[in-house]
Amino acid sequence: MNEELDSQLSAMFDDELAPGECELLARRLSRDEQLKARWGRYAVIGAAIRSERGVRLNAALAGRVSAVILAEPALAAAHGAHRAAVRWWQPLAGAAVAVGVALVSVLWLRAQVPFAGAPRNAHLTATASVPAAAVVAAAAAGAPDSYVVPRAPAVRAMVPSTELANYVVAHSVFSSPVARRNLLSAFMTSESGTAAEEPPDEPQGNVH
Amino acid sequence: MSTSERFIALTLAWAVAGAALAGEASPERTPAHKTSLESAPAHKTSLDQAPAHKTSLESAPAHKTSLDQAPAHKTSLESAPAHWLERMNRALTTRNYDGTFSHWHGGRVEMLRIIHRVQDGTVSERLASLDGSGREFIRAGPSLTCYLPDKRTVLVEQRPPQESLVGFPAVNDQTASFYDIREVNRTRLNRRNTHVITVSPKDEYRYGYRLWIDDSTAMPLKTQLCDRRGHVIEQIVFASLTLPAHIPDSAFKSDVSTAGFQWLRNESGPPAPTAATLAWNAMRLPPGFRMAARSAQTLPGSADPVDHLVFTDGLASVSVFVEAQRREQADQPAVPESAALGSSSAFSTVIDGHKITAVGEVPPDTVRFIASQLKAEEPPAVSSRRH
Repeated sequence: MNEELDSQLSAMFDDELAPGECELLARRLSRDEQLKARWGRYAVIGAAIRSERGVRLNAALAGRVSAVILAEPALAAAHGAHRAAVRWWQPLAGAAVAVGVALVSVLWLRAQVPFAGAPRNAHLTATASVPAAAVVAAAAAGAPDSYVVPRAPAVRAMVPSTELANYVVAHSVFSSPVARRNLLSAFMTSESGTAAEEPPDEPQGNVH
Repeated sequence: MSTSERFIALTLAWAVAGAALAGEASPERTPAHKTSLESAPAHKTSLDQAPAHKTSLESAPAHKTSLDQAPAHKTSLESAPAHWLERMNRALTTRNYDGTFSHWHGGRVEMLRIIHRVQDGTVSERLASLDGSGREFIRAGPSLTCYLPDKRTVLVEQRPPQESLVGFPAVNDQTASFYDIREVNRTRLNRRNTHVITVSPKDEYRYGYRLWIDDSTAMPLKTQLCDRRGHVIEQIVFASLTLPAHIPDSAFKSDVSTAGFQWLRNESGPPAPTAATLAWNAMRLPPGFRMAARSAQTLPGSADPVDHLVFTDGLASVSVFVEAQRREQADQPAVPESAALGSSSAFSTVIDGHKITAVGEVPPDTVRFIASQLKAEEPPAVSSRRH
């Protein structure tokens, strides 16, 4: 695959490809098996990366994702890389969801209004980052398999044992005020917290 | 973050706040439109009854304290970033305040309420989860009570009366050599003028902070805990905050129904010193850390004495607890264990038949390093003292 095509693919994932070029590339994707395979790989890798951060694939697809990642060491490394690197892949994954329906024929985005705790990145990429043409293509493709957008998996706050609770309470006396508040807040935190993959912005207007 | 992402994030934050404060799950009912500046009297104390989001700093005349009435002109020292940290610490430990804030860590957001009072030199504090766990932490002078409904347990720990939260640890020149403390911006946050202070660690042994400190009250309205690369790993943002002059005792009574709960106490006080007590010290410490306190105590639910050593670099602190292994544990293989509690870390290992557990708001490697450096030495002259 030449660099220009690769660049166009990347731009398409980033929703930065002009609509006309996007249409041309989509046509080429429909007849270029190599390009199609490349695109499909992007799709599952992107989905896999999102899976870690809140999106779960169905079981069959998950197996293929694992195989692809194992076959692609560089991408596997990127999977555990810096948050910014993951963020780079998010638009990629979002576009992959839609276009992958047409090309990989495995994904279908469940049409549902996200609950406040749903993984908003997944929703955003599906509604905002995906080129409109791709969304239409996805709808027309019939969507044979389902692509589930569940709530983010809980990053479980460790429920403290009584012993650890004792230690935390005793230690809190010697923490700086800010650290103590952080520590005790974490201690208070249960698994009922609402998922949010990034720190939420401050609620405005309530502190004056 | 794109505009739409910011919108979603704000919606999420308000949804959580709305559900928590209004006691409803509907994300549509956000409290943003309910802001009323004068409607919340400071004596509203019940977590269920107090609409914390209906209050404001400006509406609470009680917050007109010496901090607000300070002369307008500021010396270079007073405006230094480190000075803002000191002012913030002083405000957090000496002022009365009642606030609701969101706590974000590891992909989870939870709303909590904090009530803090200093009256006649006695610190009272109540921190309660407004969401699912229902856990509460209440400090009333030397008494620390922790309600754990999910474990149907209440821990009650009596601390030495002379132990004070105020002024510990303290930022000093040594601290400054391990952190880069800067004021990076002055901005408006929730219609308040704030100083954005960054505290950046110079090595991997500690975390940093980004703080939005209110210009007039020195209260941190937003706090981010960051790793050395500046990535946010924990965040606290106040959704409402008042500084009332008077907070009644009833504000520090738990709402948790404790029928059938197990109560674990340590009211027997610190254990008497014995000649056979070993003195534990760290052979090496991460740069900048020093031992700041040592005490012998019993913990709730345990009759065995525990040595409590505190190490600090002025901002971060690590507690190390040393207790003799019980007979039934002695035959078990010593397997080091790590744990995380929010951004804080814990590490436990066994050295010379003693279980060593380090806990602190530092990276995991730091608690592991300190715990593994503990060694028993000659018995101390006194069993409880501060350095």
